[in-house]
Amino acid sequence: MADVEATKSLTGLLNGIAQKAYYDNDEITEELLKTELFPDLSPEDFGALHEKMKGLLKSIAVADMDHGQLEAFLTAQMKKQGGGGLSEGQASALSRFWKSQRARVRESLLARSRWEPGLRGLTWRVDLQTSSGRGPEEAPSGPVALLELELGRPSQDSEYVCLECDEVTVSLVLKKMADIQRSIDAIVRRSQED
Amino acid sequence: MSSNQTKDSSFLGGRIPPEIESMSKYLKDVTFDHEMFRKILKALVSSIEGRDCREAMKSIAESSVIPEEKLSHVVAGMYRVLTEAIRIPTSSLKQEAFKEDLRELRIPEDFITDFASVVFGSRRAALEAVTSQRDPHLPTLGDLRWRVDVTISTSSLARALQPSVLMQMKLSDGSVQQFEVPVSKFQELRYNVALILKEMNDLEKKSVLKIQD
Repeated sequence: MADVEATKSLTGLLNGIAQKAYYDNDEITEELLKTELFPDLSPEDFGALHEKMKGLLKSIAVADMDHGQLEAFLTAQMKKQGGGGLSEGQASALSRFWKSQRARVRESLLARSRWEPGLRGLTWRVDLQTSSGRGPEEAPSGPVALLELELGRPSQDSEYVCLECDEVTVSLVLKKMADIQRSIDAIVRRSQED
Repeated sequence: MSSNQTKDSSFLGGRIPPEIESMSKYLKDVTFDHEMFRKILKALVSSIEGRDCREAMKSIAESSVIPEEKLSHVVAGMYRVLTEAIRIPTSSLKQEAFKEDLRELRIPEDFITDFASVVFGSRRAALEAVTSQRDPHLPTLGDLRWRVDVTISTSSLARALQPSVLMQMKLSDGSVQQFEVPVSKFQELRYNVALILKEMNDLEKKSVLKIQD
């Protein structure tokens, strides 16, 4: 029973550290984690545990360890002599945590080195122009696509860019996208072959 | 609104625009010669086509014996006649109806013929094309450039190996938008663009949506 509680607290601690270190959640503090999860631990012991877990998580995250790498890493940590050693419970908590959070942590770390605004969304509409104030009522042009791109940098509000395209432009854009896709596929193939 | 000005079928609408009324009044004046009328008409057509007609107008004003105030009424009225007529498709406004509407305003027959030759003549298509360009528009896509990068390593991630697409759009309003598209978003974007094109193709096939007069 005590083990279950200990594992729960440890998982809570790992999640708390991730919130603070990787998900930009400022509400989580070391004090909060201590009082909520390890009220019985002395401040020194908690501080040591917190630092250790934070350090291990950082090593795992920076290397973006896959399953095999993580197992090897944790085994090595468990064999470490002295105070730095990792218990089996701690190792399995880390393993479980990483399995569920790897993709999200990786995404958050990648976003830190992105400076251009990213594409967040696209909404569109296809119109048929029928009449206008100055032009002929029966417009000679075909359908028009109106697009709104939602762009934004991490943790900033979105900006919206609106544009319109005729059919020729849309098919040109689509052709470029097929080129881009081919380019991405080539990279993915190459990295799989490595 | 006085009833003598209304006529159901007039291309000018129920009430004759004031500048057209004063134009018709001054055009009846004997001092208004045909050559002058043609010069103004020519300048107005080039103005509708988007060219600078200030010089032409200046020389017309200088060479004219007609007081400038009268002349400006005539120019404004002629411009209104042309733009009002061009915005109605030729299938709705027939040449005869157009002439008839101008006759009702007691515009001399010679001038009516000249008006009709602009509105229904060989330049009509060009005038329509130019005027439709002036309708409200969103900026259009001028140029789309792209680059696919693979992030090898970053300050926070030793082994990133993450492809991403950098796109740069030049818009017709002169602005340049540069943004990064993560691969997952790129798939979404491509799917949507394909869907847009399909919608546009389908729309062109549907005769239901051809606007009937």
